[in-house]
Amino acid sequence: MGESEKRVTPDDRLTGLEKRVNDLQMLIDVSAIISSTLDLNELTALVMEKAKHVMRADACSILLFNHKTGRLEFDVAMGSDARDGEILKRHVTLGLGEGIAGWVAENCEPVLVEHAARDDRFFSRADDLTGFTTKSLIAVPLLGRGGLLGVAEILNPRERDSFSGHDLELFQALCRQVAVAMENALYHKDALERQRLRQELELAATIQRSFLPDTPVKVFGQIRLSGFTLPARHVGGDLYDFVEPLPGMAGIFIGDVSGKGVSAALFMAKVMSDFRYQAHGTADPGLVLRRLNQQLSDTPRGMFLTAIYAIADQRSGAVALAVAGHPPFLHITPAGVTVVNPDAGPPAGIMDTDFPVTDLILSPGDRLIMMTDGAFDAKDGGGKRLCFDDIVSFAVRNGREDRLTDLIAGFVTDFTGAADRADDLTIVEMRYGI
Amino acid sequence: MKIEVGDYRGNMVVSLTGEIDMHSSPVLREKLLVLIKDRPQKLIVNFRDVSYIDSSGIATFVEGLKHMKTYNGRLQFSEIPRDILEIFSFSKLDKVFEIYASLDDAVDR
Repeated sequence: MGESEKRVTPDDRLTGLEKRVNDLQMLIDVSAIISSTLDLNELTALVMEKAKHVMRADACSILLFNHKTGRLEFDVAMGSDARDGEILKRHVTLGLGEGIAGWVAENCEPVLVEHAARDDRFFSRADDLTGFTTKSLIAVPLLGRGGLLGVAEILNPRERDSFSGHDLELFQALCRQVAVAMENALYHKDALERQRLRQELELAATIQRSFLPDTPVKVFGQIRLSGFTLPARHVGGDLYDFVEPLPGMAGIFIGDVSGKGVSAALFMAKVMSDFRYQAHGTADPGLVLRRLNQQLSDTPRGMFLTAIYAIADQRSGAVALAVAGHPPFLHITPAGVTVVNPDAGPPAGIMDTDFPVTDLILSPGDRLIMMTDGAFDAKDGGGKRLCFDDIVSFAVRNGREDRLTDLIAGFVTDFTGAADRADDLTIVEMRYGI
Repeated sequence: MKIEVGDYRGNMVVSLTGEIDMHSSPVLREKLLVLIKDRPQKLIVNFRDVSYIDSSGIATFVEGLKHMKTYNGRLQFSEIPRDILEIFSFSKLDKVFEIYASLDDAVDR
C-alpha cells in the first residue's frame, strides 16, 4: 500500500487537529507579542523564538535588507548555540541572489527546500562558520508597503526529514504579521528619532539663549546698548553681548558662528565664555579679538566666527572697534546714514592674524547699528535673496526713525513672508546720548 | 549641488554647480577631504556656476585649507560670481583664500 493510500485513523485526525489548534494558537500568541511591543529587536527575537518552538525547528533567523548596501544582514539567528548567532551577525551578509535567502529576496517569493545540500542556491559558508548542518528550510520574504524588509528562515524540522507544505503556509502567515509589525516598529523608530532630534535642537536653542544678555537694553552712562535675535527655522549661531570691560567704558559685541544646529549652538556658547574672559580689563578691542582668534584656532571642521567688538567711552562717545570678517555696519547721524566698512581681519578661528582698531567719534544722538548676515541672507518665497544694499537703502529711507532696528527686523520679516528664515537675524545698536 | 573633478593644464580643478549650503556642504566636504588626502600641491575650485554659498560651505573650504596648509599645499578659487565675491570681500575671506578671476590666472600663479 502506497503512502498516499495510508488509512487515516481517528487518532491521526485528533493529532492533526491538535496541531492545527496549536498552529492557530501560535498565530494568536504572535499577534499578542506584535501588539505588545514596538521595539524591533525585542519583537523579532520573541516572534522567532515562538516560531521555532511551535514549528519544532532547530533554528531560525531573520535577515534584514540594508537599502544602503543592498545586502541582507543577520538580525536574529537562533539555534542551539547562542554564539552561532553572533558569528553570523558579525561575519555573514548576502547579496541579492546570493544563497537561498538572497534568491528569496531577489524574487520576492517564498521557498521550501527539502534537501538544502542538493540545492544549487544553497550558501554553505554560514554552516562552515557555525558548524551547523542545514538540512531542510523554509525562507519567506518580509514585504512591507515600501518593498523588501528582509527574509525570514526556519531550519531543520525536528523528528522529520523536511518541512511540509502546511509548514510553509503557516510560516508565511506568521511572516506577514511580522512584516507589518516590523514596518510599524521602523516607523515608530523613525518618529522617535525625529522627536529626539527635535528635543536636542530645542535644548541647543535653550543653551544658546541662556548665553545672551538677560536684558535687551543696557545703559552705561551716556551709552545705551540694545539688541535682539529673531531665531530661524534651524538653530543658528548668532550672539551678542553688552559688557563694561573697564569702569567708564561700554562694550558691545556681535558675532555669528558658521554652521547651524547643535554644533553651532555649542560653539557659540564657547565663544561667549571666551569673549567674556578676554574682554575683562582691557579697552583694546583688537587685542580681545586677537586673543579670541588664538583660542578658536583649533576649532574642528573649519568652524569660524565673524564678529565686531566696539568699546565706547561712556562720557565722550569716543569709540574704538575691531572687526573679524563681519559685514559692514551703519553709522546713523542726523545728517544721514553712512555704511562703515573699516579695515578688518578675517573671521576668527582660521589663521593667525591681527585685527586693526578703528576709531570713531559719536556725537549725541548718533547710533551704530550692526547686524548678522541673517539680515541680508533672507530668502523670500520665490527664492530671491535680500542683499546688503537693500537693507542700507531701507535704513537710509528710515534713518530718522527712533526704532530703526525694529523697523529693519520688520522689513526682513516682511520680505521673507511665509518662507521660513534659514538663518538667525541679530541686530544690535549702540546709541550715544540718552 | 553638482561636483565635477577635472584637469586643467595639469592642475586638479573642482567645478561646482548650484548652492553650497548646510545640506550640500557635507557631500562637498567628503569629496574635498578625499582629494586632499593625496596631498595635491594645488587644488583649484571653480565657482563659475555656484549660485550661493553659506557659512557652512565656507567652513568646508576653511577645513580643506587648514589641511592643505599642513603640507604647504595651495587652495585656489577661480571665477567667483560677483555677488559671492561680495560676501567674500565683506567677510575678508579674500585675506584667507587665494582668489583669481580665471582658471588661467590660478594656474599661472
